[in-house]
Amino acid sequence: MRNTWAVCRREFASYFQTPIGYVVVGVLALVTGLAFTISFTYYAKMSQAPSEYAMTGVPDFEETLLSPFLVFCGTLFMFLTPLITMRLLAEERNRGTMELLLTYPLRDREIIFGKYLAALGMLLVIMLLIGVDLLVLHRFVEVEPAVLWFGLLTVFLMGAAFISLGLFVSAMTRNQITAGTITFGVCLLLFILGTLGEDLPSGNPAPEGLAEGVRTVFGFVYGLFRGVVLELPMDAHAKNMALGIVEPVDIAYYVLVSVFFLFLTFRALESRKWRG
Amino acid sequence: MIQVEHLTKYYGPIAAVRDISFQVGKGEIIGFLGPNGAGKSTTMRVLTGFTPASGGTASIDGFNVETAPIEVKRRVGYLPERVPLYDEMVVRSFLLYVARVKGIPRRSLRSEVDRVADACGLGDMRRRIIGNLSKGFRQRVGLAQALIGNPAVLILDEPTVGLDPRQIIEIRQLIKDLGSEHTIIISTHILPEVTMLCERVIIINQGRLVAEDSMANLTRGGASSAFLLEIDAPESEALAALRGARDVRRAWRTGPGEFIAEMADSDAGPELARHVVSKGLRLRRLQPRSRSLEDVFMEAVSVEVPGAVESGGEDAGDA
Repeated sequence: MRNTWAVCRREFASYFQTPIGYVVVGVLALVTGLAFTISFTYYAKMSQAPSEYAMTGVPDFEETLLSPFLVFCGTLFMFLTPLITMRLLAEERNRGTMELLLTYPLRDREIIFGKYLAALGMLLVIMLLIGVDLLVLHRFVEVEPAVLWFGLLTVFLMGAAFISLGLFVSAMTRNQITAGTITFGVCLLLFILGTLGEDLPSGNPAPEGLAEGVRTVFGFVYGLFRGVVLELPMDAHAKNMALGIVEPVDIAYYVLVSVFFLFLTFRALESRKWRG
Repeated sequence: MIQVEHLTKYYGPIAAVRDISFQVGKGEIIGFLGPNGAGKSTTMRVLTGFTPASGGTASIDGFNVETAPIEVKRRVGYLPERVPLYDEMVVRSFLLYVARVKGIPRRSLRSEVDRVADACGLGDMRRRIIGNLSKGFRQRVGLAQALIGNPAVLILDEPTVGLDPRQIIEIRQLIKDLGSEHTIIISTHILPEVTMLCERVIIINQGRLVAEDSMANLTRGGASSAFLLEIDAPESEALAALRGARDVRRAWRTGPGEFIAEMADSDAGPELARHVVSKGLRLRRLQPRSRSLEDVFMEAVSVEVPGAVESGGEDAGDA
């Protein structure tokens, strides 16, 4: 535990000894701040004259502003986590400090969790910034606490899942840029998958002329594929959660994604023992 | 303290180390010699637990490197060849980090860091950013991190490369001082350094152990002995005379009027002199020539290792 903390501490400090920490925090503060201001102004206009926006009454605050804003923040992590995670292990390998790290009396889990926690620390810093936006909000509106807390939890879990993915990619590569690009690519793919999923018909698309057996098999495979495409995207599980609707499935999804990629990271680091 | 048995390491199809066995006793300073790519670094990396061996075993203080890596790593301080460091960190916070990772109790963190920093002559440099240090000071920081926790075994891969002469002398003195309490393995290209520091030498060539003995035994001359002769005569005549003498194995010219005769018997000096004089040549000087470590090294590494060439043992150590 003490070792994990030591690794985490060094890693976290080095975010702010290099420009990367300031860049990530700065960009995020700017973008979320701007997005928040714009949607807040828009919401203000909407609530003053609902009829102009084809609305019958004052729009629901949580639904129209808070939860979309939080989901947006989560999505933004998709762009920023590669920057947080790309150097975690790739840079150690590139600089050769891996040789030190792996010859200190550290267990693999202490190295991996130390780095994971450091990246989560960055995530917390970022969330504090979002918290500032929400504090401002608190002055004007009574926010439903469930929506706020589950919204923040969603953002955090989403970020943690992205970080876990990025850590794994970083464990597989030697070059930061490669690690960052691959992480970003995979995140983006998971995101686009969501859009694709919306267009997939729900029935069995197999042509009528085929034999019944083939049709059934085809339908089954298609059903699996559609299920994956619908469930896999990172933001698919965020929308309900951010509205304060607690579904164990949604929380399980993010936790499982994190655990899965952490598991792969362990295997990747271990591979030095048999790869030669 | 250190036991290596039938150690073998393959990088893909290339054998970097083949079937090396040796032992190092407590408090010994061992010199690891060999041309580039001989497998020195690879052997050291296996000992530190960084690279797994393909075959054979290595253990430190009775702990197997493969099965008890943490115990081994607690006992080993390692200075890698290229001295990788976190460039963005301040020397002192880097050393504090290493001390934490090596499990130094919180209370003695600072004193331990100060101890190694003083031992390595880091002085005010401990407030500098590592990336801005000169090569010599980087080397010292590398050495300092290896010393943290006072490990029983120090494995130093070319510790004096890139230092200026004064720094080299300082670092050598430091290593020598450490030698009284630590078991040390040093790899180096600089042969005089080995002569100065080490009690025992291990020479590796093309992944195989080609010589292992104490410094005294290695330079004593082994089975044959050589004489340096100064003869006032044309080269061909002198060589013919030398080669005609009894017990002379080889003879060659080393300079104008200077020759070396390698003899099977080290007591054959007077007889050799008599023979040269009897041929009517003027012998100006005859002197037994002790072998330098350089001779031993050249001899050991110029022997072709059977089966080593086709798989390209060269450079394998860097892979």
